[in-house]
Amino acid sequence: MNESTLFLVTFILYIISAFFYLAFLFSKQPGQAKTGSALAIAGLAVHAIALIARTVESGHAPFTNMYESLSFLSWASVLAFVIIDKKFRISRIGPYIMLIVIGLVALASSPLMPKEVTPLVPALQSYWLWLHVSVTLLGEAFFAVAFITSIMYLTAKEPEKKEKLDSVSYRCVAVGFPLFTLGGLVFGMVWAYKAWGTYWSWDPKEVWSLITWVVFALYLHTRIVMGWKGKRSAIIAILGFLAALFTYFGVNYLLTGLHSYA
Amino acid sequence: MKRFIKFFTSIKLAIVLLIILAIISILGTFIPQGRSLEEYVARYGRLSGLFIRLELTGLYHSVWYLGLLGLFALNIIICTLTRLTPKLRRALKPHLTADPKSLSALKTNARFKRSAPLADVQSELTKLLATAHYKVKAAAQPSRISILARKRIGGIFGSDVVHAGLLIILAGGIVSGVGSIRDNLSLNVGDVKPVPKAEFEVRLDKFTTEYYPDRSVKAWKSDLTVLEQKKPVLTRTISVNHPLTYKGYSFYQTSYGWNWDSPAVEIWAKSKNDPTFLRKMTLKVGERALLEDKAQTTIAVQKFLPDFVLGEANQPENRSLQPNNQAALIEGFRGTEKVFSGWIFSNFPEFDQIHAANDKDKEKETDLAFELKSFEAGQYSVLEAAKDPGAILIWIGCALLMAGLCLAFYWPTWEIKAALEESQGKTEWIAGGVATKSREAFSAEFERITAALRRSK
Ligand code: HEM
Repeated sequence: MNESTLFLVTFILYIISAFFYLAFLFSKQPGQAKTGSALAIAGLAVHAIALIARTVESGHAPFTNMYESLSFLSWASVLAFVIIDKKFRISRIGPYIMLIVIGLVALASSPLMPKEVTPLVPALQSYWLWLHVSVTLLGEAFFAVAFITSIMYLTAKEPEKKEKLDSVSYRCVAVGFPLFTLGGLVFGMVWAYKAWGTYWSWDPKEVWSLITWVVFALYLHTRIVMGWKGKRSAIIAILGFLAALFTYFGVNYLLTGLHSYA
Repeated sequence: MKRFIKFFTSIKLAIVLLIILAIISILGTFIPQGRSLEEYVARYGRLSGLFIRLELTGLYHSVWYLGLLGLFALNIIICTLTRLTPKLRRALKPHLTADPKSLSALKTNARFKRSAPLADVQSELTKLLATAHYKVKAAAQPSRISILARKRIGGIFGSDVVHAGLLIILAGGIVSGVGSIRDNLSLNVGDVKPVPKAEFEVRLDKFTTEYYPDRSVKAWKSDLTVLEQKKPVLTRTISVNHPLTYKGYSFYQTSYGWNWDSPAVEIWAKSKNDPTFLRKMTLKVGERALLEDKAQTTIAVQKFLPDFVLGEANQPENRSLQPNNQAALIEGFRGTEKVFSGWIFSNFPEFDQIHAANDKDKEKETDLAFELKSFEAGQYSVLEAAKDPGAILIWIGCALLMAGLCLAFYWPTWEIKAALEESQGKTEWIAGGVATKSREAFSAEFERITAALRRSK
């Protein structure tokens, strides 16, 4: 099977998974959440093979254009969700995560995203590309889960549910923040230094990563030092993820700079 | 002074500063930075003057942005230092005495009374704690024994290590801003150039551009030799992402260009009447060659433009120095008489501009057609020579930042205190615990340990 077939199979698995999760949302039968989770994991595995196939076909890291990086981001988001669900048993977030992932995969498959394999420009030929992008997107995937749990926090009614959602949001940030710092800021600086001789150029994408990072630093400080929890924390986490989204999409389409590849 | 320090220890100040920095930074991503005056005037019209005066066009290097960063640094220093002393005391000289009242006020606590001598309970508890990897200390008071058990005490310093890392990164930024040397070196093959403010020179031995099958650039490679007192000491091939570092200087492949001094042009001549006629030749600009056709034409390449465009007076000129629209001016001679001339274009092979040199001599018009197939020109390599004494601080800061984050999030400090009292052959104990992180896991461990202590005989 080639990459696009695998990608299609992944897409279908994610859709059926979302379907089961949605059914679970209404019926509250744990069996349906289990099936949803099994399908999500199966999708994750096929998706991983699709990413590997893409890497073999192109001969370079599978995130050098928008199509590839969207595919990788959706994979990372499912991975983050599977990990969080294993650890905290929170299938309730499943339907929303899967819907967002389906949205990302659909966007990646849409004709808006050119899919042909293009050769790598010299600046991208570096193993730092792997480290920088994969770790950053993995961090952002945890921010995405925190985003979902924060929105659910704001709409939830029962106090126990709210408390659980609040604590899971914090745990996601606690994983996402170090990953994002390492991938987005540290590896980004090392690579920029290797490629251009300057570790920081105040390019819009860099500035927006910094802003995303500052928002999550605010999240941590208001929570740990000032004891904020619940609603206010949720709002900061939502803003942080929106900043990450803007770094990812907005900067490419609205602003210009060095990071014009993907 | 007290009020000054108080102001800077406040976490509220940190939050306000972070919000302001974020908002200003956003502004700077919507206003293009460091462009020319004309561009700003074209974009913002009358506002451009205001923007420039407010330094919004060079925001990240403006006095007030740096000032805010300075305040931020001061905030971190003072805030971290004032909290550091109590933390150090907690780590190095902890209070060993535990009083039952404060223990029972802790969220995680347990108590029990057993009919066993105190010494037995104490050794039991010590053993249980030690198996769970706690470091245990005990203190005897007249009426009771206090026990303090902790693990991963380093975790409480996570935030300090993070903040120290950040400060070192900021310091690195200042050192780079003040002390870095950066210069572009354009080198033709064979050129030797001195490195700015250094005692050595570099020579370009070879420059190659590698292409993918679709003609997009795969790599630029420069073979570079370092010369000390005119003697070669080191030769390396550098390319994008693979700089050469020597004596604190790094050499980066940043760009390249074409050397248009004396390009050679490959031309194919065909005949409109005779499909079998084909002559291929490569000529330098100004050079002539005999075609060996029936009419014994001699042709010459009079001019070559890498990026042809018609200028204001309809004159051919270069739009750029990149070979985007290569064009050659061909002239044909019979004997010494010029009989035709015209431009040919590599991008538009069928666009035939060849015409008679003299409008009246229609019969001298030729049946020849020409194609511009390729060109050969030297390329020069553009390198950046940079010395950045701040970079090392950045890497140290980054390492501390990451180490601190790991400590803060994944090295949770757990502490269990217990007070044991003996009366009438029974031992009453009370234990309480605190955790900086992973409280659920800690509670579970605390439960396990205290339950075991209850059960044992
Ligand atoms: C963007 C800049 C900053 C970053 C990335 C940062 C990062 C951190 C991190 C990761 C923690 C540990 C959080 C935890 O334990 O979960 C922390 C704690 C803390 N930070 Fe910051 N920090 C920043 C700026 C500041 C500033 C300017 C102040 C000064 C007021 C400050 C004050 C504190 C305090 C008081 C704590 C709790 C300290 C403790 O553990 O005792 N931070 N910071």
